[in-house]
Amino acid sequence: MARSIEEILEQLRARVPGRVPGGPRGPRRPNPLNRASRFLAKFRFLFMPVGLFALIAVGVHAAADTLDDRILWVVDHVDAAFDALFGRWSATESWVHAIDLEDRTTIARAFALVWELLADLVLALPAFGYREATDRPVRGISAVLGTSRRRWRDIFRDVVRRPTVLRVTRPLATAAVVIAGACAIGRMVQGAVYLSQREWLGDAASGLLARLLALAALCGVLAAFGMRAVLRNLQHADEAATGTPGLRYVQIAAKGIPGSAVVIPLAIAALIDASPIWTFFR
Amino acid sequence: MFARRTRGLFEFLMTLLCLWAALYHTPMGAFVRRGMAKVFGVRTSARPLLAYFSGGATPHPGDRVLVVPEPPAFVGQSAITPALALGLGLKAALHQLPEDRRRPVQDLARLSGLDPAKLWDGTEGAATSATLLARTAERLGSEDAAVLAIFAGLEPARYAADRCRAEGMDAPTLEALARHLPPGFEDAVGEASDALAFGTAYGLAWPVPERTPVTSGFGVRIHPILGTKRLHTGVDLGIPAGSAVRVTADGVVRRASEDGVNGRVLIIDHGRGVTTAYCHNSVLLVQVGDVVRRGQVIARSGNTGRSTGPHLHYQLELHDQPVDPFAFRSHRASGTPGVVSVRGSD
Repeated sequence: MARSIEEILEQLRARVPGRVPGGPRGPRRPNPLNRASRFLAKFRFLFMPVGLFALIAVGVHAAADTLDDRILWVVDHVDAAFDALFGRWSATESWVHAIDLEDRTTIARAFALVWELLADLVLALPAFGYREATDRPVRGISAVLGTSRRRWRDIFRDVVRRPTVLRVTRPLATAAVVIAGACAIGRMVQGAVYLSQREWLGDAASGLLARLLALAALCGVLAAFGMRAVLRNLQHADEAATGTPGLRYVQIAAKGIPGSAVVIPLAIAALIDASPIWTFFR
Repeated sequence: MFARRTRGLFEFLMTLLCLWAALYHTPMGAFVRRGMAKVFGVRTSARPLLAYFSGGATPHPGDRVLVVPEPPAFVGQSAITPALALGLGLKAALHQLPEDRRRPVQDLARLSGLDPAKLWDGTEGAATSATLLARTAERLGSEDAAVLAIFAGLEPARYAADRCRAEGMDAPTLEALARHLPPGFEDAVGEASDALAFGTAYGLAWPVPERTPVTSGFGVRIHPILGTKRLHTGVDLGIPAGSAVRVTADGVVRRASEDGVNGRVLIIDHGRGVTTAYCHNSVLLVQVGDVVRRGQVIARSGNTGRSTGPHLHYQLELHDQPVDPFAFRSHRASGTPGVVSVRGSD
C-alpha cells in the first residue's frame, strides 16, 4: 500500500539531526550566512540611506563629469563678453586680466563642482529621510520602501492627476542618475576585477569573470537601491508639494523649479553620456 | 528577488559597493578620504576636488606641479616629425619619473626589444622613446593608450583601450581611457598626461617666420605701459601689421574675441592639455568652433588692444599654465625675460 505524503514527510523530517521522530519539529539551525544576514538586517535603517545617498552621488558625479567641457565653453563666452565690455575703458581695462586662461578652466571646474553639490543636495540628501518598513506586515511598495505618511496609491494618483514640477522631475532625474551611478560602479568593478585577477586566471577567464561581476554589480545595485531611490524622491517631492497647506495648485505646481533646473541637465547628461549599459555586453 | 533571510547581507554588500565607488569616484569622497588621511596621518591618492573634472583639459592631478623640461639640444625644428616630438615629450616626462615608478616602462621597453637604459640616454633617448611609442601604439591601436601603457603598464592600458572601443571610440583620449581604470592609477594618468602635453608642445610650429625678432620674452618684467613688475605670459614677436599669423598645430578655435587689452585675440585648443593664444591681431579669419590645421592662416597681425606697436603676442599654455614657448624649441631667440624693446610689445 502506498504510503501517505504525511508519512513520507515525517520520514524526511526524522533525518534532520537532533529531531526525535514523531515529536515536534526541531529547531532549524540557520547557516552562518543566514545568521549574518539576519544580524545585518537589523541595521538596514542605518546603512540603506547611506547606500542610497552614495549611489545617487556617484551617478550625479558621472553626469557632472561629462558636462564640464560644456561649462568651459559657456565660461569662455561669458569671459569674452566681459572682456569686450570692460576692456573699453581705461579705468576698467585691468579687469580683463582678472580672469586668465588658467582661471577660466578653474572656474569651469568649480562650476561643475558646485553644480554637482547642488544636485546632491536636491537628489541625494532626501535619501537620509528613507525609513525602513516597521515590523508589522507590509506588502507591495511599502515592503520595498517602507511606510509613507500618505498611501502610495494616493501619491501615484496625484502624480497623474495633479502633476507638479517636483512630482514629475525629481523621480525621473533620480532614475537617470541612478542608472549612471550603477554603470559607473559596474565599470569600477569590471576594471578592478580584471586587472587584479588577470595574472592568476589568465586573460579570457578574468575578462569573463570581470564582465559577469560588473553585470552582477550593476543589476544588484539597481535591484537594491534603484527603485528605492526613485520612490524615496517621489515621496520627498510629494511631501514638499503637500507640506504647505493653503497654497493654490499653480503655486504647488511651480514649487521646486530652481532645483529642477539644476538636476534636469544633469539627468539628461546622465542618460546620454554616462549610462553605457550596452558596453557591459560587448 | 532575494529571500528575506539573505536580503540583509545582499543589501549590506551593495551598500559597501556604493560607498567604495563614492569614496573613489566623487569629489565628496575625495574630501572624506583626505580628511581621514589627515586624521590618521597616512598618504592618500585622493586628488584635489577640482581635479575630478577635466574642464576641457586632459586630467592632471592638481597637487602635482608641472615641471617644464629643459629646452632640447636638437636641431632642425622644422624637420621634427610628430612621432619624434612625442618621443621628446615622453623622454622629458620619463626624466621626471621617480626611480621606483620606472618598472612598467622598463618592462615595456624589453617587451618591445629595446634597451630600457637608452630611454634616459641624452642623445638616443628621444629616438628610443619614439620607437617605443610607435611599437606600443601598434599593439594598442592608439597613441594615447601607448603613452598610458608606458606609465601604467601594458595590461591596464590595453584593458582601458578595449573598453573605450566597446563604447565606440576608435582613438580614445587619455581622459576617456582614464575613466576605465580602477582606483590606484591616478599618478600614472598624471604622468602620461604630462608626456602627451610635452610631446604636443614639442611638435608645435611657429606662428610667424622663424627669423622674426622677439621684442619681449617670457618671464617677469616691468610692463612697458603700466610700469609695474608682472609676469609676461607669452612672447612678443615683432612683425608688421597685416602679416599672416599661422596656427602652430591642428586644433579647435576656443575663443575669437576682442577687448581693450588683448586686442583681437584667438585661443586655439590643440587637445592633450595644450592651448595657444594669439593676441593684438588686426583681423581674425576664423570663428569659435572652427577646426584649424597646422600652418593655416588664422589672423592678420596688428596693433589692437594695449600695445606699443605692431606685434604678435604668442602664448603657450600646458594644463592651463603659461610656459615659455622657447622651452619647446631648438634654439632661443634674441628675446630674454626682462628685456623689452620700445616698439612692438604689450
